Amino acid sequence: MLEIKNLHARVNPDEGEALAILKGVDLMVPAGEVHAIMGPNGCGKSTLSYVLAGHDGYEITDGAMAFEGEDIGELAPEERAARGLFLSFQYPVEIPGVPTLTFLKEAANAQRRARGEDEIKAPDFIKLARENAAKLGISNDMLKRPVNVGFSGGEKKRMEIFQALMLAPKFLILDETDSGLDIDALKVVAEGVNALRSPERGMLVITHYQRLLDYLKPDVVHVMAAGRIVETGGAELAVALEAEGYEKYAGAAA
Amino acid sequence: MTLPVKLSAFEAALAEQLPQGDLRAELEGRGLPHRRVEDWKWSDLRTALARLPADVGELVLDASRAPDARRPLMDAPDQIMARLAAALGGQAEVFDLHNGETLTLDASVASGAGHRTIVVRARDGVNAVVRERYSAAPGATLNLYSHYAISPRAHLTRIIEQDASPDAVIVVTTTMDLSQRAHAAQTTLGFGAKLARLETEVSHGGQGATLEMNGSYLVGEGLHLDQTGIVRHTAPSGTTRELFKGAAAHGGRGVFQGKIHVERAAQKTDAKMNHRGLLLDGRSEIDAKPELEIYADDVVCAHGNALGAMDAAALFYMRQRGLTEARARALLTQSFLAEPLERLSDEAVRDTLMAKLQAALETVS
Repeated sequence: MLEIKNLHARVNPDEGEALAILKGVDLMVPAGEVHAIMGPNGCGKSTLSYVLAGHDGYEITDGAMAFEGEDIGELAPEERAARGLFLSFQYPVEIPGVPTLTFLKEAANAQRRARGEDEIKAPDFIKLARENAAKLGISNDMLKRPVNVGFSGGEKKRMEIFQALMLAPKFLILDETDSGLDIDALKVVAEGVNALRSPERGMLVITHYQRLLDYLKPDVVHVMAAGRIVETGGAELAVALEAEGYEKYAGAAA
Repeated sequence: MTLPVKLSAFEAALAEQLPQGDLRAELEGRGLPHRRVEDWKWSDLRTALARLPADVGELVLDASRAPDARRPLMDAPDQIMARLAAALGGQAEVFDLHNGETLTLDASVASGAGHRTIVVRARDGVNAVVRERYSAAPGATLNLYSHYAISPRAHLTRIIEQDASPDAVIVVTTTMDLSQRAHAAQTTLGFGAKLARLETEVSHGGQGATLEMNGSYLVGEGLHLDQTGIVRHTAPSGTTRELFKGAAAHGGRGVFQGKIHVERAAQKTDAKMNHRGLLLDGRSEIDAKPELEIYADDVVCAHGNALGAMDAAALFYMRQRGLTEARARALLTQSFLAEPLERLSDEAVRDTLMAKLQAALETVS
């Protein structure tokens, strides 16, 4: 479903020299599977999520990425979204003045128009929003507020999963969704993510710690270090990493 | 001693229409305000008008009712444009606001230079709304001076729409006197002209008066809007709240000059002024000069000013959810500009202005 081959990318800062971050990432996530990427800070995990979503602060210098057989490297972020890619942000952005539901309805309909589908009707959208909000313990008041404005870190992460439920993407990238969550919030968010698991949907879970993976039970765990995938295994790999840390991969930085 | 300037054809034609006297001598000696005059340093009126037709035009004032009186204006303020309006605009039209009234004043000039003066009075305890709209056709010049006298405990809501008027010049100068415990709430939605200047000078002459002055503006290609406001607190316990937010795109230019002046007698003044500007591209410009001048020691005064570009993180976030870049930019700009308009208490007026802003954003984004 998602296929990444020898992906090299660098960040182009406003000032100073470009910095290579991804140095040959190979990764394949078939539909129906949940893959985790773990790795130390600065290894390129979050960069990978931004590059997949089409952030223009990064430049692909080599390699390719394909979604459902289509090369998406040149597509705008909104074109990737319309094809079903959803990124749950590590730091969800506050948008003052734009109510959450207004924003989501615009987003859902923009995606539908791009795919040549009919727009969702307002009553159907509201009904769907109520159902999904109930699953995540999100109040009506939160839905009326501007996107993420005044929400705690945990509330923002819950809203990201709510947005995923509303937009029903084909593929989810969760970038450090567990950061900033206490154990109860983690459980709620994990249940929301698990509700999205289906044979047609793929997921890439980027995380520093094992605790989210205890709930999500990934099919495959990859270890990333210095811009590459350096090891791939089953769920047991996450357990080993939690016990041993990332030190043994430090040599991969060569 | 400075030598008289070489007048443009426009200035020469204006001077021609004036009787001999101080005003004519001043115009012939200095010309119209230009960028080396401190108050006009970002709005070069002289240059903007130099190549506009100098023909005598008519300022059409489409009012919702007849004025209560017409009389010559005896006391125009110092501003040269206001004095020209008084000298060339014929008799002032005087409106005494009725309680509960909404007076609409739709001012436009189709060709040439048109001048006019208006006096609006809100008598003791009257609560009324005045809605003003200004537009000028390409090549036309609109110059209007209005004076507002707000009596004790009167409540004025003033709403100003300044329509995008490419290749035209619009100057609206207003003086407003607030009496004891008078209240005035002014909201402006402006889109600029070749050069548009909305200058408002408010005087808190009565104790305990309150003033709200809010504005949103959006200036696109070839458009310039200057909002200059001077608020003078001369009596104690006055309150002033100002919030202006604007965006400039495609080389448009916004100017905000805000001054709050608190005299020694105006103890317990509470005044706050805030301006925020959004530059939508690298060709656009917003200039701002907020000033506080305080001679009283027991006051609360503050001002804030911030200019910035579109929030790139928010833009990416919205696009990741599927919004096109144009739509995301429009939505972010709209939410930025909405705040001053949201302070309008009349929901219908608020919706009308928001719709107008949205329509303008479709063309700019």
